[in-house]
Amino acid sequence: MLTILRDLLRYNIEFRIGLVLVSIVLVMAALSLVAPYPPGDVYLVPPDLPPSSAHWLGTTSRGQDVFWQLTFAIRNTLSFGIMVALLSRVIALVVGLLAGYSGGWIDRVLMSINDTFIIIPLFPILILFYFVLRDTMSTPLLATIMACLGWAYDARLIRSVALSLKTREFTQTSIFSGMKTHEILAREHLPYVMPIVFSTTMNNMNWSIGIEVTLAVLGFTDINTPTIGGMIYWANQHTALVAGIWWWIAFPVGLVVMTFVGLFLLAVSMNEYIDPRSRLARMGGSR
Amino acid sequence: MSGAADQAPVLEVDGLQAHFRTRYFGVNREVRAVDGVSFTVRRNEIYGLAGESSSGKTTLVKTIAGLLKPPLEMVGGSARFSFLPEWDAVGRAPPEVVRGIRWRHLSYIMQGSMNVLNPLRRIRYSFRDFAWRHLGGSKSEFDARAEAHLERVKLDPSVLDAYPHELSGGMRQRVTIALATICKPEFIIADEPTTALDVIVQKDVLAMLRSIQREMGSSVLFITHDMGVHAALTDRLGIMYAGRLVEDGETAEIFAQPLHPYTRHLIASLPRIGDTEQREGLEGTPPNLAEPPPGCRFHPRCPLAMPICATTVPAMVATMPGHRVACHAVNPGMAA
Repeated sequence: MLTILRDLLRYNIEFRIGLVLVSIVLVMAALSLVAPYPPGDVYLVPPDLPPSSAHWLGTTSRGQDVFWQLTFAIRNTLSFGIMVALLSRVIALVVGLLAGYSGGWIDRVLMSINDTFIIIPLFPILILFYFVLRDTMSTPLLATIMACLGWAYDARLIRSVALSLKTREFTQTSIFSGMKTHEILAREHLPYVMPIVFSTTMNNMNWSIGIEVTLAVLGFTDINTPTIGGMIYWANQHTALVAGIWWWIAFPVGLVVMTFVGLFLLAVSMNEYIDPRSRLARMGGSR
Repeated sequence: MSGAADQAPVLEVDGLQAHFRTRYFGVNREVRAVDGVSFTVRRNEIYGLAGESSSGKTTLVKTIAGLLKPPLEMVGGSARFSFLPEWDAVGRAPPEVVRGIRWRHLSYIMQGSMNVLNPLRRIRYSFRDFAWRHLGGSKSEFDARAEAHLERVKLDPSVLDAYPHELSGGMRQRVTIALATICKPEFIIADEPTTALDVIVQKDVLAMLRSIQREMGSSVLFITHDMGVHAALTDRLGIMYAGRLVEDGETAEIFAQPLHPYTRHLIASLPRIGDTEQREGLEGTPPNLAEPPPGCRFHPRCPLAMPICATTVPAMVATMPGHRVACHAVNPGMAA
């Protein structure tokens, strides 16, 4: 594992850039633990100050320090992304492995459900959930809803791998030795799909953070929990761009872009490590 | 050669029929891959099954082992093991019972067994996954037992911590054999376990399989199309053609005195030291088992074919003690 990381760092420029970007974001999130201001309070500092040595990224019209507010926002946004990714990975793994291995009517039923989730329009449903649950809507609840809607593509991907694993001799031997279905899936097939799961986790985090920011900017989430989208929402409410408080919008947007690009580069470079063909393509061997 | 063999049968196969049945778009297809096979395997002997590709060897042993997955179905007959007296075939027993006998009493070295080991798991975990449940005991006891057993197949215990790709083909083959024999099963099915190995490694592995079998006193059903391996290893030999057993008897006797015309050709096709001429092959190809020829399935290719061969299935009759053959030319007038 360590050698893999070392080689990726040494030979893969995407991995290096991705790692630096994600590290910056993680450090930001970690700094929230030592923040001098509570995240929910307003008018703690003079409003509308531009970036300076006292307030590195300026202050908002609500009297909050942008830098420290951003540490809370990115922590919440990241943990939201991780929550969605983990929950949806569990669903995708169970459905994908079970459908691919079992085949027959189990496969058909699971894949019908799967395809339903692929085609239903996501955004209107999330807005509907917000209007129905308005008062009880919280970050964990939204994460659960998103996870329930975001597993379908990856379940299909995992199923396709499971289909080929099913016919391998070691699966036959496992069946013959009396292993039960769940044991075969967990011990023999799971290690095979883990690299795919790692790679899709990053993409799924990107996807869920993107949706969360969109919903928050429009005000369709719990606006009292600071998130990246929530900060942009409040900046819009105070017409920050018109008033010339550009730092209130620019820094959250910049940070979330860093998160996206960093996670994307990590996913791409990991995929390259997993898939030898893309490594060949890099060496010019695929021509 | 079977002097050491106990006469009590461990496996009695009687009139076993296994067909591949498919129904697609209203078209029913039935491939009679195994059609009325009867033989017995005694305690402490190696019974060989020979025959060309697609003669139904693998289907036969899969049916015997109860590995029946659609479209393969066991249609008739029985395959009774002495350790499972209540059921007339493993495939007909309930899953809990089957789980109880597998590995402990009956183990299976698969065809292409180079790939039996999960490439992403260390050998130790393959051992634990496949065999621990059948042996019980603590983890350290089991590991000690696995190490001791690996030594028996002349492998270093450090192999347990290797991944399959770190081992050579011969070592992997030894590991799979160790895996199949660690629970000291009474019956081992070996489906072409050495086909992928070169002759020198093959000789080693076969000698090892033989010594383990002798040591544990188990019975082995050994399948390969390589007649040389049969001559070197098996005590008794059954020859399959197009889903039926055509001849069986002691290996030495079959090689010395083959009775069925197919067996004669099979043995005549083996090269001998000093040969200078090209060996003659038999005309034609094995029949399509979806529409097998009536009567004796070998008659379209048989040099001794008579009118009766095209209409009547010959019976498997003991022409000499312990040597059975199904042929009208050898046993006139014996219809099945």
